[in-house]
Amino acid sequence: MATTQAPATRDRFEALLDPGRVIDHPLERRLYSRDGSIAQGDCGLVVLPETTAEVVACMRLAHELRLPVVPRGSGTGLCGGAVPLDGAIVLSVARMSRILEIDPSVPCARVEPGVLNLDLSTAVAHLGLHYAPDPSSQQACSIGGNVATNAGGPHCLASGVTAQHILGMEIVLADGEVLRLGGTAPDPPGYDLRGFVVGGEGTLGVVTEITVRLSRNPPQVRTMLLDFTTVQAAGEAVGGIIAAGVIPAAMEMMDQRMVAAVEAFVHADLPVEAAAILLVEVDGTPAEVASHTAVVEEVGARTGAGRVRVARDEAERALFWKARKSAFGAVARIAPNYYLHDCVVPRTRLVEILARIYEIGAELDLVIMNVFHAGDGNLHPLIAFDRRDPEQVERVHAAGTLIIEACVAVGGVLSGEHGIGLEKRDFMPLTFNAVDLEAQACAREAFDPEGRMNPAKVLPIGSRCGEIVLDAGSLPPGTWL
Amino acid sequence: MSAVVAPTSPEEAAQALAEATAARARVAVVGGGTRSRRGRPGPPADRELRTTGMDRVVAHEPADLTLTVEAGIAAAEVARIAASAGQAWPQAEIREGSTVGGVLATAASGRERLRAGAVRDSLLEVVIATGDGRLVTAGGRTVKGVSGYDIPRLAVGSLGTLGVIVQATLKLWPVPRARGWFGAEGTIEHRLATADRVLTGSVRPTSVLLLPGLLAVELTGPPEDVRAPEGFAPLPAAPADPAGHGLVEAGVSPARLGALARHLEEAGLRYEAWMGVGICRVAVTSADDVARVRSQALALGGHATVVDGPDDLRADPWGPEPPGVHLMKRLRDRFDPAGILNPGMLVWA
Repeated sequence: MATTQAPATRDRFEALLDPGRVIDHPLERRLYSRDGSIAQGDCGLVVLPETTAEVVACMRLAHELRLPVVPRGSGTGLCGGAVPLDGAIVLSVARMSRILEIDPSVPCARVEPGVLNLDLSTAVAHLGLHYAPDPSSQQACSIGGNVATNAGGPHCLASGVTAQHILGMEIVLADGEVLRLGGTAPDPPGYDLRGFVVGGEGTLGVVTEITVRLSRNPPQVRTMLLDFTTVQAAGEAVGGIIAAGVIPAAMEMMDQRMVAAVEAFVHADLPVEAAAILLVEVDGTPAEVASHTAVVEEVGARTGAGRVRVARDEAERALFWKARKSAFGAVARIAPNYYLHDCVVPRTRLVEILARIYEIGAELDLVIMNVFHAGDGNLHPLIAFDRRDPEQVERVHAAGTLIIEACVAVGGVLSGEHGIGLEKRDFMPLTFNAVDLEAQACAREAFDPEGRMNPAKVLPIGSRCGEIVLDAGSLPPGTWL
Repeated sequence: MSAVVAPTSPEEAAQALAEATAARARVAVVGGGTRSRRGRPGPPADRELRTTGMDRVVAHEPADLTLTVEAGIAAAEVARIAASAGQAWPQAEIREGSTVGGVLATAASGRERLRAGAVRDSLLEVVIATGDGRLVTAGGRTVKGVSGYDIPRLAVGSLGTLGVIVQATLKLWPVPRARGWFGAEGTIEHRLATADRVLTGSVRPTSVLLLPGLLAVELTGPPEDVRAPEGFAPLPAAPADPAGHGLVEAGVSPARLGALARHLEEAGLRYEAWMGVGICRVAVTSADDVARVRSQALALGGHATVVDGPDDLRADPWGPEPPGVHLMKRLRDRFDPAGILNPGMLVWA
């Protein structure tokens, strides 16, 4: 049930922003009660500030009224991190979407949090630069959201996830205080608060400006497609390439079901009969590319790859990547809904965990497809389902739990790049004990002593720092799904 | 003379800290002692906690490119273990005698930072013994992961003031097939222009160091790539570190590092500027030198800290308070409630 804020509250926010930027209509609020996950929340007022000063004003008022606030970027997150509970206020930064400065001499860019990931790379392409983290949702996800989730992407294998590309930020804390953390000057004195805020899932404050590191385009790129008759052979190829001392720019795996779905969608002449394909991209100087390509070809031959198809030109390379990045869209042709999982296992356990995932699918009679960042062991099992069928939804839940447990059992972690949010909050005790969780609660509480920023996310209900209990928002029955 | 405590396991370290907190005893945390002359000299410690007894290798997974060690192990030993598998810890500045915990607690990134990144990016999982004796594990041992709050990033560079780093999982990297240093001489303007050309060209250097009279570039990769770029000649070895009475590390935007170097060269100071990174190490002999470097760095929008030197150079090792000091204090209160760990070293936290 959606709760309407008291009209007086709405009036107070409307006095800070234009009336058009305070949303209170139940149908419109409903749009903000979800994100890219399958969680359904309960949204209060939605506010759409356009400047840091407006964010500060909103946060001060929320502080005065003791209201919980959920920061929101593009709402493409997959762990329920932007889903409001209990009628919390949603503060959307979607209208803060200006690129403020591009400085090729660093190189870096200063952007507002609502700037879309791909728009930034497009805006700096003429300078021979790009923004390295490239989530599959990069056409729609925002840099602010990327900071909140410490987002990854295929090209994070060699270049690192979001945290390694954020130089500085402006953040508005729960009480409206503005801080500028980090910057283009490396290693400022004191604790690395900038680094800690990345991945904070909106529980530490609202990030209102971000200085990102830009990367120079590599002199040469080669993209290769390898096909295998068994998933095991593909897994061995992944291990073999790394063991030969090559960290490709990206190394992605797709299993047969996924390849078939994607091929029907993008027509890239993919080998639909293969049990698994690997998309391997190497870059660098011509000598590096030649040397890495030789390793990929040698390992491919040794592990039984059918053939190594090299992208002939930029158009074919773009097609390969389109195939990879439209995987999730392709699934819409198979089932009305999908649940996209995210977990990481040590690279050496990939083959074994994939076998277990197929077993889980068979046991629960679910279609599970896999497309993932093989190079760093970051799995993305995708479960196709129909949310109108409650019994099927039950099985999807059960499969998700089994997959998490299986990954943790072989030394994996709960999430590689999507975050914890609501989805995995209650699984945190699988990898952290009570002392670990209390320490995390205390670190969070240092930023937000009242626990009003994105409450009930990341840490299990009842997590506490000393005597302070950090579960201001309760989870209504049936919220998750 | 303070009593020495030398735990041989993380549990013993936590126990020792719990006892120190109960006794309100000030604890100086010491690893290899190679970077202990930093921060503001505090009041004499009641106890010295030496981490070098915690030196086990917990898990080495070459195929996963991860290594988990107790933090008192020598960083050079870690380098040897990694090298045995054709791997390295390139983000770290490894000195003979340094411990892994010491490298991390001081955020000691090495000269390969331009290409390899900062040392804080190499720490996957950390176990810290907090000031009040809790053993807290954070992060995860896989090469990628976003499980919970990034306490590892808080621990790196915290100088042991949030807790003693007792165990670390490091992300390793394959060793390049070949490597070599190359040098170019000339006026500062010529060297700066050359540095810019190297950074933006097709060479992809691992390190570009501007020194008085010299521009030194390290190249790594396939042997075909490790050749002198135009205008450079091979150097017999890596340039020596700037050495003096003390050492200041300035951080400015990479775009302004050349301006800082011009000032330093005019002032006759010995320096090593990491072009493309924004770090500049300056040998100093007096508090006046520290003030001179700091005023230039501040004027350029950066900062300068004393990272090594006798007490008389470290009366004000950090300069102006950074933003968020109240958050740092709160963090410290929650991890070291009695404030026993290296008290005074961070000045404001």
